[in-house]
Amino acid sequence: MSRSSLYEEEFFPSPLRQTWMEFKRSHWAFAGLWILIFFVFVIIVGPFLAPYQPLEQSPDNLLLPPAWSDSGDIRYIFGTDSAGRDILSRVIYGSRLTFGISFLVVILSVSVGVIIGAYAGISKGLRSSIVNHLLDSVMAIPTLLIAIIIVGILGTGLINSIWAIALAMLPQVIHTCRDFVRQESEKAYVTAAKLDGAGSIHIFVKSIFPNMVEIIVVQSTFALSTAILDISALGFLSLAAQAPSPELGAMLSDGLDIVYISPWSIALPGLTILLAIISVNLVGDGLRTALRRRLQH
Amino acid sequence: MLNYTIRRLNLLFFTLLVLSVVSFSLAFLFPGDSLTNLSGVKSPTPIQLASLQESYKVDSNYFWQYIAYLRLLLDGDWGISFTSQQPLLDDLSTTLPATVELSTYAFTLAILIGVPCGIIAGLKHHKIFDFSILSASLLGYSVPVFWLALILIQLFSLQLSLLPLSGRISLYFDVPIQSGFIIYDIFQAENIDKTAALRDVFFHLILPTLSIAIMTGTIIIRIVRRSVLNVLEQDYIKAAYGRGQTNAQVFWKHGLRNSLLPVLPLIVTQFTTLLTNAMIVEVIFSWPGIGNWLIQAIYQRDYPAIRGGMLMVSSLVIMFTISLDILIRVIDPTKGRKIRVAV
Amino acid sequence: MNQRALFLLSFILLSSCSDIKHNELSKKGVIYCSEGDPATFNPQLDTSGTTADATSHQLYSRLIEFDPNTSKIAPGLASSWLVSRDGLTYTFQLRRNVAFHSTSYFTPTRSFNADDVIFSINRWRLDNHPYNKVSGGNYPYFVSLGLNEVVEDVSRINGYRVEIKLTRPDSSFLANLATDFSVILSEEYATQLLAQGTPSLIDTKPVGTGPYKFVDYRKDSFIRYQKHENYWQLGDIPEQLIYDITTTDSLRLAKLISGECDATSYISNSEIGAIEQRPNLVLNERPGLNIGFWAFNTQKEPFNDAKVRRALALAIDKNTLIEAIYLGSADRAHGLLPETSWAFEALQNDTNFNPALARQLLDEAGIPPGFSMDIWAMPVQRAYNPNATKMAEIIQSYLQDIQIDANIVTREWSTFREELKNGEHDSVLIGWSADNGDPDNFYRPLLSCQAIKSGTNRARWCSRRYDDLIQEALLISDIELRKTYYHLANAVLAEEMPLVPIAHAYRYQAHSDRLHGLKINPFGGIRFGDVEKR
Repeated sequence: MSRSSLYEEEFFPSPLRQTWMEFKRSHWAFAGLWILIFFVFVIIVGPFLAPYQPLEQSPDNLLLPPAWSDSGDIRYIFGTDSAGRDILSRVIYGSRLTFGISFLVVILSVSVGVIIGAYAGISKGLRSSIVNHLLDSVMAIPTLLIAIIIVGILGTGLINSIWAIALAMLPQVIHTCRDFVRQESEKAYVTAAKLDGAGSIHIFVKSIFPNMVEIIVVQSTFALSTAILDISALGFLSLAAQAPSPELGAMLSDGLDIVYISPWSIALPGLTILLAIISVNLVGDGLRTALRRRLQH
Repeated sequence: MLNYTIRRLNLLFFTLLVLSVVSFSLAFLFPGDSLTNLSGVKSPTPIQLASLQESYKVDSNYFWQYIAYLRLLLDGDWGISFTSQQPLLDDLSTTLPATVELSTYAFTLAILIGVPCGIIAGLKHHKIFDFSILSASLLGYSVPVFWLALILIQLFSLQLSLLPLSGRISLYFDVPIQSGFIIYDIFQAENIDKTAALRDVFFHLILPTLSIAIMTGTIIIRIVRRSVLNVLEQDYIKAAYGRGQTNAQVFWKHGLRNSLLPVLPLIVTQFTTLLTNAMIVEVIFSWPGIGNWLIQAIYQRDYPAIRGGMLMVSSLVIMFTISLDILIRVIDPTKGRKIRVAV
Repeated sequence: MNQRALFLLSFILLSSCSDIKHNELSKKGVIYCSEGDPATFNPQLDTSGTTADATSHQLYSRLIEFDPNTSKIAPGLASSWLVSRDGLTYTFQLRRNVAFHSTSYFTPTRSFNADDVIFSINRWRLDNHPYNKVSGGNYPYFVSLGLNEVVEDVSRINGYRVEIKLTRPDSSFLANLATDFSVILSEEYATQLLAQGTPSLIDTKPVGTGPYKFVDYRKDSFIRYQKHENYWQLGDIPEQLIYDITTTDSLRLAKLISGECDATSYISNSEIGAIEQRPNLVLNERPGLNIGFWAFNTQKEPFNDAKVRRALALAIDKNTLIEAIYLGSADRAHGLLPETSWAFEALQNDTNFNPALARQLLDEAGIPPGFSMDIWAMPVQRAYNPNATKMAEIIQSYLQDIQIDANIVTREWSTFREELKNGEHDSVLIGWSADNGDPDNFYRPLLSCQAIKSGTNRARWCSRRYDDLIQEALLISDIELRKTYYHLANAVLAEEMPLVPIAHAYRYQAHSDRLHGLKINPFGGIRFGDVEKR
């Protein structure tokens, strides 16, 4: 009936599959993944969910408290800000903006970083060594500090901060990739490919890169949580997104002026950032643990 | 060892050189006249202009201009700020100590929280305590510091009116700035009630210190816990158990040193992250430190100040990490550079 | 564990909080959260409220003071005075044994006398005075009112008696001597500085006879004053007065709530609720001597036509503006003067909301639908207009109803004032805060021909008839008679409508309940001279 019992079948899941199975074993990481998926969902369909436009002002409903409070209004579930804008809608659009930009920054930074890192890992010689060392020392500077400095140089603004953060995260990515490529280059399967006469690009693309995917994913999740923190921190300092923008950090700094009157104006944006970073960190932690376990087996 | 030290110092020298080149070229990349951006003198008199042109060697090519700039930097003439019209080095020498002071206290606090909690969590692996510490630390290192600071202010300053929310010391105390380190300055000051002043400084420190220490503290918990777990899996620990020693004996005799020593450099590396957080929190608490100063400079488009602040902060961080690298080698020569990659 | 540490810490704090809040030290000092840096420490040189708040009543005294309670003039350094029958000669009897500040940089050898009065007035009055050109040499208050031409001579009769001769009678003269700007400086200190070759120190390291003396100032950070032990009006004032310069509005309120400041002003309307909630804070409210208005540049087409100006005035609903912008904490302006002024006239030249009539008037004046104009909105928040940009947006929508397209223009504050002075605007939303209780302080700086040049006449409107009327009014000392002149001037304004008066805003000031005696000074700078702390 069932063919599975016909032979003493040895089932070898692929490495990726193994990692995934390990990942699923951690409930925390799995919960984090669900929250992350929820955020991605909000990012995609946000405009359909938000009851109002993020900049739509309602002069008759200034500084409303959340709906469950006595003077709240059910039309504005989380209340309104000093210009009568719906906080919930702003947070939805803000998540879109903050996370959307963070994803963008990570993709930008990781794709450039992998290429440079791979090149640095493969090539040898004095030039690459000097650059490598320089990168190493730059890597010691926290990304946010580099980003602040770059924004200081480029001037404030959202676009400039995207460049700044992407650039600031680059050394980290390059470093990881380079070290990984170097380690792998010494392994037997690469040597085998070399003996077969494959060129270095061919080796990288066909042999090393497939093994690198996991480490890139792990690196990317950490980069993502850093990016969310950095972009909102810059927004909070009014160095990235500026005041009327619903970017979550900018919303927080906007709420600063009215925090004495309406503490809830900083509660929701802050909690959203917190939740997003927690979910990304959970997934990242889970992935890393899973990867470690797989390699131990 | 000596070889390694020399290589690191070489790298330090080279990096600082690159930073100075970058800061020099900023003067040309920023809008406006490069001489103005370098010197910070906005509308010089003809005599001033002539002397500035002379000292910055504007008539020579870029290379000699750079050499002149480097010489001025080393002489301590970093130019003046557009907004305050004070020499940059003076501004930096009052703001930098404030930041270093705040970061040092916060870092101490973070270690005091992080190391014991990490050890306990590691020892009670998979028990309730470990679990709660782990979830608390997850919260701690995910929370944006600026939001945490706002929540603390909201709670302790505005709702409970317990703690001050701005500055380092109440203005009632007339403490002249000498070193920039407020506690030292208090001891140097005359005509003030020193006990009251110190207590006031303490109250001003609580909120900013807490808001940055929590994040670093939780990271330290994770590092220490991981390391304790690693050590407990080692054969020599198992051997010790085999000799019938109790948990506590095993750990204090064999585990503690072996689990803390390797991660010590990793912990110290967290200082730079903490410093960055301190710079942001300064803005919220009106702390007169370098972060506050640099961000004001960015708002005001104060180019000389941005240039000087960037050079100062990045040089310090680089010097800090490279000396740390050397220190790692001294403590544990088997460890390579890879130590920094892990977290 | 973190939570536990937090909990532990807060427990420690709770147990010691009574100490920090009421320690001996804070009893000896008052901290005032001010909104900005003073431009100078000599209010003669600057008319901004920030400078006056920081210096005028703390460091200095005047010959005559306004009593903040009764709004009448009262003796200051002059114990009494006589005005001659023709209104041209004023004789002041000066107080004896009034000590100047003794500071680290100056030790007075004599007390206040006639020489100090002569020096202080001559500094702004005489072009060739050795101190006239020091620190920029601009005396905006005195020059905008033409006081340097009104005063003919200041002479010493004896050490404690001074005579001031005027070129023409001026019934607002005493009121002008009582303003924040007419401070008395030390002639002895000035002479000493001149001998040292550092005359400009007189405005940065000040010496006066006020309740507090200067100790230290750091830009963007603080001003530190110390009690003047020999102050001529004895009061139990605290040892220290400190200005904590806090430019962020919300931070000032936060510091007040957390107890880091004892008092602050420039409170925005939305913050009032937060202050009222706190039992330990006191909110002072007072109708302000100010006016927020919409002025048309009468030197530009088509705003030189009174009909157009009237039409635009009819197009806006002032009551809505007052509700939306001032959140109700303002009186509707019927004319230039607020109700508290003695020359106030109800419904002087008010306009009612009537867009149909407005469109009709525009048609008569030949303004086609779709005409486009600029509304300049000042970028800063002032008591008389807490949010000019928002007001401009509302006016914009009103103008849309009568088929006029309005563009809102705003610039950085100093550029804004510069370009206004050059007359680059079509219309502007701005206002005025009076420096003294005299009606002349509204009529002259806002709309006289002379004020075009000094930059306070935003309408750039010049009418002989109006100028003559307000000039005549000054020659008369009888209040009832003077009133009729101002009413005549109102009639001219009603006809010409160079500006649309919108609102007289209330002024707010908040302080901790431990301060006693702090009131809103309706005529300008804050006064700490009789504030006690318990």
